[in-house]
Amino acid sequence: MKRFLKRLLLFILPIVILAYPLDILVSQILRKTNLHYGEYEVWDDIYASNIDADLAIFGSSRAWRHFDPKIFEDSLGLKTYNFGMDGHNFWMQQLRHRKYFAKNPHPQTIIYSVDILTLVKRVDLFNKNQLLPFMLFDDEIYNYTKSYQGFSWANYYVPLYRYATNLDFSSFISDSLFQEYRYHGFKGADRKWNLDLQEAELQYPNFSLDEDTPSVALFISFIEDMKRENIDIILVCAPEYYEGQDFVKNRVELISTFKEIAENYSLPFFDYSDSAISKRQDLFYNTLHLNKEGAEVFTQKFIRDWQRLK
Amino acid sequence: MLFNSLDFAIFLPVVFVLYWFLVNRRIKLQNLLIVLASYTFYGWWDWRFLILIFFSTLVDYSIGRMLAGQEDQKRRKLYLYLSVIINLSLLGFFKYYNFFLDSFVQAFSFFGEEIKLNYLQIILPIGISFYTFQTLSYTIDVYKREMEPSKDFIAFAAFVSFFPQLVAGPIERASSLLPQFLKQRTFDYIKAVDGLRQILWGLFKKIVIADNAAKVVNEIFANSDSYNGSTLVLGAVFFAFQVYGDFSGYSDIAIGTARLFGFNLMQNFAFPYFSRDIAEHWRRWHISLNTWFRDYLYIPLGGSRGGALMKLRNTALVFIVSGFWHGANWTYIVWAFLNILYFLPFILRKKKRTRSEIVAFGKVIPSLREVLQILGTFSLNVFAYIFFRSETVGQAFSSVRTIFSESLFSLPQFEGMLHAFITFILILIFMSIEWFGRNDQFAIAKLGFTWKRHWRQLFYYSIMLAIFLFMGKQEQFVYFQF
Repeated sequence: MKRFLKRLLLFILPIVILAYPLDILVSQILRKTNLHYGEYEVWDDIYASNIDADLAIFGSSRAWRHFDPKIFEDSLGLKTYNFGMDGHNFWMQQLRHRKYFAKNPHPQTIIYSVDILTLVKRVDLFNKNQLLPFMLFDDEIYNYTKSYQGFSWANYYVPLYRYATNLDFSSFISDSLFQEYRYHGFKGADRKWNLDLQEAELQYPNFSLDEDTPSVALFISFIEDMKRENIDIILVCAPEYYEGQDFVKNRVELISTFKEIAENYSLPFFDYSDSAISKRQDLFYNTLHLNKEGAEVFTQKFIRDWQRLK
Repeated sequence: MLFNSLDFAIFLPVVFVLYWFLVNRRIKLQNLLIVLASYTFYGWWDWRFLILIFFSTLVDYSIGRMLAGQEDQKRRKLYLYLSVIINLSLLGFFKYYNFFLDSFVQAFSFFGEEIKLNYLQIILPIGISFYTFQTLSYTIDVYKREMEPSKDFIAFAAFVSFFPQLVAGPIERASSLLPQFLKQRTFDYIKAVDGLRQILWGLFKKIVIADNAAKVVNEIFANSDSYNGSTLVLGAVFFAFQVYGDFSGYSDIAIGTARLFGFNLMQNFAFPYFSRDIAEHWRRWHISLNTWFRDYLYIPLGGSRGGALMKLRNTALVFIVSGFWHGANWTYIVWAFLNILYFLPFILRKKKRTRSEIVAFGKVIPSLREVLQILGTFSLNVFAYIFFRSETVGQAFSSVRTIFSESLFSLPQFEGMLHAFITFILILIFMSIEWFGRNDQFAIAKLGFTWKRHWRQLFYYSIMLAIFLFMGKQEQFVYFQF
């Protein structure tokens, strides 16, 4: 038995010793890729303290797909970065903001893209692998993500384990081959109108959403923190294709939460729900997302409206 | 608890240490530990499963005891029937209740009668087909006086629930496994190292081969209507490797784990894809189930005695029962009929099916004749797998129609071609290792024994690296559904 245990330990020892350095190596390599629709790029910019933005755009995929930093930079001369996080509500967006604030100079202004899903909280940790290179021994990531159906504890605290159980090597290769890079977090969607809306309407004829109370409280505390730091916040409800606005039955109620918050904290609130852009199907690829051309038209329109307000 | 999970990676060393250090050399305590560990392992899925396995254990232990003191042949037969009826009723209820109800409704609707029956929300207890057959073998052997009934309930409970082979076999014969629970187990270095090696190889088969193949197979079979003939063939070929890697991988992990605790389980797969005819294939595939059918069904029915018609009837019955054993779906029955058809030439030619020597023994390269025989047998299996894997018989026939169309001669086309290519390379490597290790119990049992130690270790590290790289998409073991 002694011989068996000794040999087994000797065999396992190199793995144990090398696990942590290997983990760092793998993480460093992955950080420099554009996997997970470019989310690694944004996280890497944050962690590498590469961001020195005057203007930060926060929100979900409706921020990511709609606000083109290049147009802000060309029109206003403001260094801009888009932090839009695909598929996530405020809870996870806030994790990204906190990491950004902890490792980079703070912006002067934040444009917050809000929508019907901002204060809802999903159950699953969508696109969870975007966190892999950053999450080892990170208590903040653990605390923000533990309430989701995502990772077990070992993923946060055992070197290499999360790569073994979450990364699939062949998908990794194929994903690496076919992805495009973002520009300061932004990537326009070169797509045409699809059937998402019709399919969703058929599947969920009476669809409504519930606000997550802790997310609402977290959102308010975020605004208060920004106010204390003298960072301007602008709330924007970007265009939503008008025919799809009836899909979520309590949409008006959900948007009114932001109107109230804007009033209470004297924040500018731009609501494009009824704008002309919202009626042009050719600018959307689904009811919630503008395509590349739509993003260009909308960003320009928003800049004009914002300038008028100033 | 899955073998390829962190839970098991923690569970196994804990049980191993307790077994060899805390209760070492005390058989009763070792057996009790095995029962507790096995119930924990099984209850990890759903604690309600434990009631069923405990009931099954209690029934067969009691009937075994009743048989022990009974000389009246009529009563002995009665006890045997009681055990068979109780075990098969449980299996039938949990596995086939809704299937037969559904078939009943469909049969009536065929004649224009619409009937409404109540379907039940039944969870299929994992491994029920395996441990039911194992306990049945005990009662039958005791009835036939081929073994003494167990007097030790804990040892018997350990035999029924032994966690390495509880949920997907090998289905052990009571006469082989039960006595091992009554003997002193001493730690054997060679056996333990061999066990670890077999676990490693099993994990490789499951994670690197089966799970990668599954990704291709699932996509193709889920959308079989949209693909051309060559893509459907690709799906069926990959399924052949998925099911082999998955099931033989599980068996390897089970046998290897048992060896760590000082137990010997039977070989369940003997390189079946190197078989030269279908009869040889069935002697090398899922050996524990097929020998079970041979011993408890084929031979009692008369076996090969009598004329060709008798042999055909017995072979057909074995395959039909085997089809049903695999699941409550007519696809398995069609699969069974195809295999009966494949067996016909052997039965009609009255040729004794005893090709047992290893193909191209002592040679690196097989003869052209052997290659053609191997490919022919593999093709027959792949064709039958189309039915085995399809959701319905209709889907299977539709796939067969597409395969035998002009589209068979076009290139396979589907989104995951790059993944399929990577998997194909992995399968080539895997089958090469299997070829070189085909003389042994499992492919890497002796591979590298003549190499220097550091090269051999590097080989094991490479296998571990491959497992690490492909562990990301865990699939359920295919045979858990049976």
